[in-house]
Amino acid sequence: MESLLSGQLLFAALVLGGLYALIALGLNLVYGTMRLLNIAHGDLLMIGGYGAFWCFTLTGMSPLLGLPVIAAITAGLGIALYYLLFRGQLSSGKPIPQIEANSLLLFFGVSVVTQNVIALAFSATPRAYRYLDDVYHFGQVAMTGNRIAALAIALTCLVAIILVLNRTMFGMSIKALIQNRDAARIVGINVERVQLTSIALGFGVAGIAGGLVSMAEQISPFMGFPFTIASFVVIIMGGLGNVFGGIIAGFLLAFIEIYAVALTSANMRSILLYGIFVAVLILRPQGLLGKARQS
Amino acid sequence: MTIPFISTNSSLPAVSATVIGAVLIVGLGVTMGSYWTVVALNLFMWIALTQSWSLFSGMTGYISLGHVVAYGIGAYLVAVTFKMIPLWLSIPLGGLAAGLFALIVAIPVLRVRGPYFVILTFGLAELVKYILLYTETTFGKSSRLLFGAPKTEVLLYWVAALAVIATLITYFVGRSRFGKGLAAVREDETAAETIGVPVTRLKVLAFAASAVIPGMIGGLMAMRSTYFDVLQVFNPTISFSIVTMAIIGGAGDARGPILGALFMLGLAELLWSTAPQLYFILLGLFLIGFVLFAPNGLIGLIKRRKQPKGSVS
Repeated sequence: MESLLSGQLLFAALVLGGLYALIALGLNLVYGTMRLLNIAHGDLLMIGGYGAFWCFTLTGMSPLLGLPVIAAITAGLGIALYYLLFRGQLSSGKPIPQIEANSLLLFFGVSVVTQNVIALAFSATPRAYRYLDDVYHFGQVAMTGNRIAALAIALTCLVAIILVLNRTMFGMSIKALIQNRDAARIVGINVERVQLTSIALGFGVAGIAGGLVSMAEQISPFMGFPFTIASFVVIIMGGLGNVFGGIIAGFLLAFIEIYAVALTSANMRSILLYGIFVAVLILRPQGLLGKARQS
Repeated sequence: MTIPFISTNSSLPAVSATVIGAVLIVGLGVTMGSYWTVVALNLFMWIALTQSWSLFSGMTGYISLGHVVAYGIGAYLVAVTFKMIPLWLSIPLGGLAAGLFALIVAIPVLRVRGPYFVILTFGLAELVKYILLYTETTFGKSSRLLFGAPKTEVLLYWVAALAVIATLITYFVGRSRFGKGLAAVREDETAAETIGVPVTRLKVLAFAASAVIPGMIGGLMAMRSTYFDVLQVFNPTISFSIVTMAIIGGAGDARGPILGALFMLGLAELLWSTAPQLYFILLGLFLIGFVLFAPNGLIGLIKRRKQPKGSVS
């Protein structure tokens, strides 16, 4: 019981929570502004992970310095997909449920293609590299450098994005689009530009998260799926399209996961994750924190 | 206005074509040797699964991404009771168990709509998978060996029969009053309910019915490999393949899943053994292409070509 109160679990939960919050934020931006359900979101982390891996092993450069390039790559992918697949869907005037259902199928196709292109290019074998893995001690708590860095960068990104959303005109136009699409258009917001920025931002942040994950964990072409699921759990708990709810829910899920696994066994992790997922969807599809929203 | 329950006269050609086609493929598969027997078996398996999926998801528009759960439950029941209960009993029981499971979860699950429903079905299938995996490892049974299973030919007869039954069910339901009710749910559920269509009852019935044949198929396919593994029979790829085939073939028409299964199996035959990754890449691209440019699938393309230009469908 004493181990539950130790700082070790708290630190693990904070690191995981920071990552979940960051990953879910990207998913939320894309859903909130365009109603696209990106089930390829975890695959963006995978791409980010490979980016960091190659950056480190080929150039010897710190993967942290490679993060902007990685973010640019995944953001570029988002922009390409927007023009290739989704722009036509969004302007077709189809009802929203149909856009949502189609986006799910389209992103599923994207996911399958991405995973297998990476597997074809770099083989399906898991890879890992060692970076910043020296252990630091703070009192009783042992932390590796890469996890401290992951937490710090995740928090920095979160704070930066929140500031942009709240303090800048452009950030507020993103929020306006999330709140009400038609009204946003009427008050003169350039919907097209906001959508493009949101998908670039959402995808870019996912790439950064993937780079952070790869510093501490193995990467493989099929690593993305659990992250996709976790981020869906988070954004549904926080209320679909509710950016701040999603951040809180990200930390909440991480704390539940870390502490429940510590209390039971590692085998329970998946049952727990999917159990929460199913329970939230059945009992409160509008999320724990969100209000029922009108679509 | 009365809608005839089933118009039997006009359906005779379709029924006989289905049966004759299936008998021909079975005969061809068996005479051409063991490799083609397996190809025929896979073809009928996918047809049966996709037709069953189409019975619920194609007709109601509630896209299920968790259809593998029925397959897995059937496989699990047959594997656990192997050598304890004869197969002619355990396989229908597997179908029944899958149907019962669907019936039990139907009420809470079917209240959830749209994209929530899609990801919920997926999550539910994964939850069942991990619970069974946990149970199996706790009892030290992470995989079960199944020796003395029936020959592939025998399995082929069963699976082909189920594929024919599934096709005919989709065909007849599509033409029945029940099917019209399901189509009404797809078009506008609230409006359907308002004019007195018993939407909940129809949805629950179709949801449970669409799980029975996949349960039996799961049980039969568990006999195909000599060992049983939870992760294998609950593999989400099975659900995804079903949806992909239904989209490529075209849902809502009994011919769609057959075309989809033929298409996917043809692609798999060409690439699976030589370039499995390329196979998945092409499958993903085809899925994207069909969603964007031919949302009614191959069957929609064929129907469009048959129609004279300028006519309104």
